[in-house]
Amino acid sequence: MDETTRESPPSRRAFLSRSLTAGAGLAALGGTGTATAAAPAVAAAAAVDPPETLPVSLTVNGRRRTLRTDPRTSLLDALREDLGLTGPKKGCNQGACGACTVLLDGTRILSCITFAVMFEGAEITTVEGLADGDRLHPVQRAFVEHDGFQCGFCTSGQITSAVGLLAENPRPSTAEIKELMSGNLCRCAAYPNIVAAVESAAEGRS
Amino acid sequence: MAIGKAISRVEAGDKVTGAARYTEDVRVAETAHAVLLGSAISAGRVRGIDTRRAERAPGVLAVITHLNRPDFAAVPPTPYTAEGRMPLVDDRIHYAGQYIAVVVAETREQAEHAATLVVVDYHRTSPVPTLDAALSQAYIPRENGLARVPSEYRRGNAEAALAAAPVRVEEEYRTAALSHAPIEPSSTLAYWEGDRLTIYDSTQSVHMHRPLVAIAFGVPEDRVRMYCSLVGGGFGNKSYSWPHVFLAPMAARVVRRPVRVTISRKQVFTGTGHMAATVQTVRLGADQDGRLRALIHDSVNQTSFIDDRQETASAITPYVYAVPDLYARIRVTKVNTGTGGAMRTPGDSAGAFALESALDELAHRLGMDPLELRRRNHADVDPVSGRPWSGKQLLACYDQAAERFGWDRRNPEPGSARDGDDLIGYGMAGGQRTEHQRPAQATVDLTDDGTAVIRSSMVEIGGGGLTTLSQIAADGLGLPTAAVTFQHGDSALPAAAPTFGSMTSGSTGSAVKLAAADALRAAIDLAVGDRRSPLHGADPDDVVAHEGGLRLRDRPGDGESYRALLRRNRINTLRGDGDFQPEGEDAEHAMATFGVHFTEVRINRYLPRVRVVRHVAAFSIGRVLNAKTARNQAQGGIIMRLGAALMENQRPDPVSGRFISPALTDYHVPVNADIGEIDVIFVEEPDTNANPLGARGLGEICAVGICASVANAVHHATGKRVRSLPITPDKLL
Ligand code: FES
Ligand code: FES
Repeated sequence: MDETTRESPPSRRAFLSRSLTAGAGLAALGGTGTATAAAPAVAAAAAVDPPETLPVSLTVNGRRRTLRTDPRTSLLDALREDLGLTGPKKGCNQGACGACTVLLDGTRILSCITFAVMFEGAEITTVEGLADGDRLHPVQRAFVEHDGFQCGFCTSGQITSAVGLLAENPRPSTAEIKELMSGNLCRCAAYPNIVAAVESAAEGRS
Repeated sequence: MAIGKAISRVEAGDKVTGAARYTEDVRVAETAHAVLLGSAISAGRVRGIDTRRAERAPGVLAVITHLNRPDFAAVPPTPYTAEGRMPLVDDRIHYAGQYIAVVVAETREQAEHAATLVVVDYHRTSPVPTLDAALSQAYIPRENGLARVPSEYRRGNAEAALAAAPVRVEEEYRTAALSHAPIEPSSTLAYWEGDRLTIYDSTQSVHMHRPLVAIAFGVPEDRVRMYCSLVGGGFGNKSYSWPHVFLAPMAARVVRRPVRVTISRKQVFTGTGHMAATVQTVRLGADQDGRLRALIHDSVNQTSFIDDRQETASAITPYVYAVPDLYARIRVTKVNTGTGGAMRTPGDSAGAFALESALDELAHRLGMDPLELRRRNHADVDPVSGRPWSGKQLLACYDQAAERFGWDRRNPEPGSARDGDDLIGYGMAGGQRTEHQRPAQATVDLTDDGTAVIRSSMVEIGGGGLTTLSQIAADGLGLPTAAVTFQHGDSALPAAAPTFGSMTSGSTGSAVKLAAADALRAAIDLAVGDRRSPLHGADPDDVVAHEGGLRLRDRPGDGESYRALLRRNRINTLRGDGDFQPEGEDAEHAMATFGVHFTEVRINRYLPRVRVVRHVAAFSIGRVLNAKTARNQAQGGIIMRLGAALMENQRPDPVSGRFISPALTDYHVPVNADIGEIDVIFVEEPDTNANPLGARGLGEICAVGICASVANAVHHATGKRVRSLPITPDKLL
C-alpha cells in the first residue's frame, strides 16, 4: 500500500500492466480497436462484433461493486453512468483538465482516459468517499473555508487531487502546491484560494 | 447584518462532496444519447450523406440529417438564439464543426461509434479563413437584433480636432479570438409528454431561453419547462441557445424518448461561440499637458456567414474619458467561422486593450506618468449624456491601488529595472463597463418554522448569487443566512434576470430585497392587527425585523418571533413579492462600474516569457455583498484575462479557417502555477441610485483593462510595444 503511493510518476507501472490485461482481453474478443475506425469499414463490419459488455469488480469508496460494462466505457463513465456517482466530472474526456481525477489505491489518476474494465480488483476513491460520514475531510473543509471554487465543476477533481498530493508530499511548499495542482484546470480561476486551501489543509489548520 | 460579510457559499457543502447536481448529472429513465457529427470542411455543401451503416450499428435509434429532419416551427429571435440559421435546415456549410448529423443510440458509446460510420460526401468551396483575409470587406452591420449597440457614435469633429492636436498617437491593435472554455461542456436533456417539453439545459438563464425553444417547436411557452440550477462555468457562452439546444428536443421527438446531448470538448470550442478577434485602430490627439482633444476608435471583428455579430470593442470608448471630439465605429466582416458570442467582458475587454495601450503610448510620448494622464482626463460626468455618475469612485481606486502597488517607486525609463537576468516592468490601465439592469422577479416566503424561502429562477454560475441573495433576504427579515433556502433554476419560478451581463446582484438581488421587504410588511401588518400579539396596535413604521421575529424599534423587549406569530394565526407561509423594474434610459444618473489595474511583470532576458508576479486592482462597484465571493470572482476575472494577455489564442488555420486548437491541450488557459500574487481592493460606496440594494455588477468589470496593464508593463520592462495579443515570447525576441 505504502509502496504504491510512493511510486513516482504515480502508478505508471500499474497502468501499463492493467492496459496489457485489458488489451489482451479485447484482442481475444474480436478487436474493438478496428471496428471503431472509420476507414477499413467493410472489413471491420465482417469481423466478429465486440462483446457488448464485460464484467468488472472493483471497490469504490470502500464498497465492493460488480458491473457489466461496455469495454469501451471509460472508468469515468462507469463511475458516473453505471455506478451513479456525480462527483467525478467530464470536463474534456481527453486527459487535459483534471475534472475527472479519482484516487487509485490512494494515487491520483485521470479516470476519463482509462477503461473501466482495466480496474478489476482496484480500489477507487472519488470525492464522495472522502468525508467520514457527515464529517468533511480536512481538504474539503479547507475548500469551503477558503472559497476554493466558484462554479464548482472542477472542484471534485481539485479536492481529490489535493488529497493525492498531500499523500505524496504532506508538507508541500507554496510553489510545489501550485506546480502539483497544475493538472487541474479551473476556468473560474479560483487558484489563489485553492492554494490557500491546500496550504491550510497541509498545516492541519482546517 | 449578513450583507457584506465574508460568509461561505450556501452550496459549498454540495460542491465539495460531489453532491452538487449539474445538468449532466440529472438522470431520467430511458434516456437515449445523441452524438453530434460536425462538418469536416468549413465552406461548401453536403452533397451526399450515407447513414446506412450507422443506422444498422448496435443500439442506434436514429440518424437525423438535413434530409430526414422534422421541420422547426419557426426561427426564434436572435441574439439569444445563438445562430440565426437553425441546425440541419439545409445542406450548406458555413464553418468547420457545424452540425450535419445527429446520431441517437441507447448508450453514448454506441452513438459515438455509429457517428464514425456516417460517410459524408462534401462539395467544397473556398473558405474565407481569417479576419485578415476579410479585412478589406468590413462593413457596418445591419440592425438585425444582433447589433447590440449603435455601430457609430460621433461627438464634435474628431478628425479636425486630431489634425489640430499638437501630440498624436495613431496605432493599430489586435486581439486574438478567445474561447470561453468553461470546464463544464454544454449539455441538454429533453423529453416530450404530448406537447409538453421538459428540458434540462446548461444555460445561464432559463427564462431567456425557454421562449426560444417554445418558438422553435411551435408550442406555447407555458408548455415548456426549463431547468438549470448550477452551471459549471459559462462566461457568456451559456447565455445563448446554441444549435445543440434545439437538436436535443428534435431528437427526443424523433425517437419518442428522453434524449441527452452533451457536446464534446472540441464542440465546446467550435459550437458555443468565442470572443471574436479584432483589429482596432486608435487615434489620440492631446495637448502638451496631456489633455485629450480628439479620440477616434475604429474596430473590426470577424463574424460568421450566418450572423452579423459585433464584438463591441469601441462601444464603451465615448463614456470613459472627457474628450470633446470623438468618433467610434464598429464594423464586422465575414469569415468561415462559427458565430461569436459575448464572452466576459464583451467588447470592453478587447476595446480597453487598444484604448489603454494607446494612452500609455501617449503618456510615454509626453513624458508624463500614465496614471497622471488618466487623472487629467477623468470624466467627472458621463461625457455622452452629461448626467452625473452614480457612485463613481475611480479616483479613489487610482489612489488606493497605486499606493498598495507602490507605483511611486516606478522609474519611468523603460528597461531601467532589473533583477539578475530578469527585466522588471510596471504597467497600469483602467477599465469601465456600462451597468446593465433588467426586470427581475422573486418571492420570499416566510414560513411558520421561522425560516424563509426565496423563489426565483436564477441560475448559479459561480458568481455567488445563491449566497449573496440569501444574505439579502436574511437581512431583510432579520434572520440568520442559514435560515434562508433558495428555490432556483426552474422556469416555473418567478423570472430572475439572467446570470450574465453582471446583472444578478443589481437586478435579481433588488427583486429579492423588495420581496423580503414585502414579506416583512405582511408580517408586521399581521402582528399589529393581532390582538394576541405583543405588537398589537403599534404603528407599523415602528416595528422592525430582529433575530427571527419582530420588535419595536425603540423598545427591543417588545416583540415576538415569526414562528409564534404565524403559528398562532395558523398561517403556513407569508409570501412577499418582489418585482424590480430598472429605471432605464431616463434615469437621473449614468451607471457604470470602474476599475484600475497595476501589474508587475518579470521577463527573462534570454527566454522572454512574460510572468505576471504581482497584480493589484481596485474596483468601484457600489456595495460589496459578500467579501469572500466577490474577491474570488474578481481574482478569477483578472486571471482569466491574464490568459488572454499572455497565452490564449484560438487561431484559425490560414487555409481552411478551422480552429487549430479546439482542445484544452492546445488552447492554453492559465493553470495554477502561472499565477502570481493577485490583490483586489473594493472602493465601496452603497449606490442606491443604481437600485434599492446599492450594488452594481462585478463579474465583468473585473476582467477589463488587464491586457493593457500587462502590455504596458511589458513595454516598461523591455521598451517593446506589443500591440497584438497574446504577448508570447516570439513577439519579444
Ligand atoms: S475529463 Fe478527464 S482530464 Fe478532463
Ligand atoms: S470552480 Fe469553476 S472551473 Fe473551477
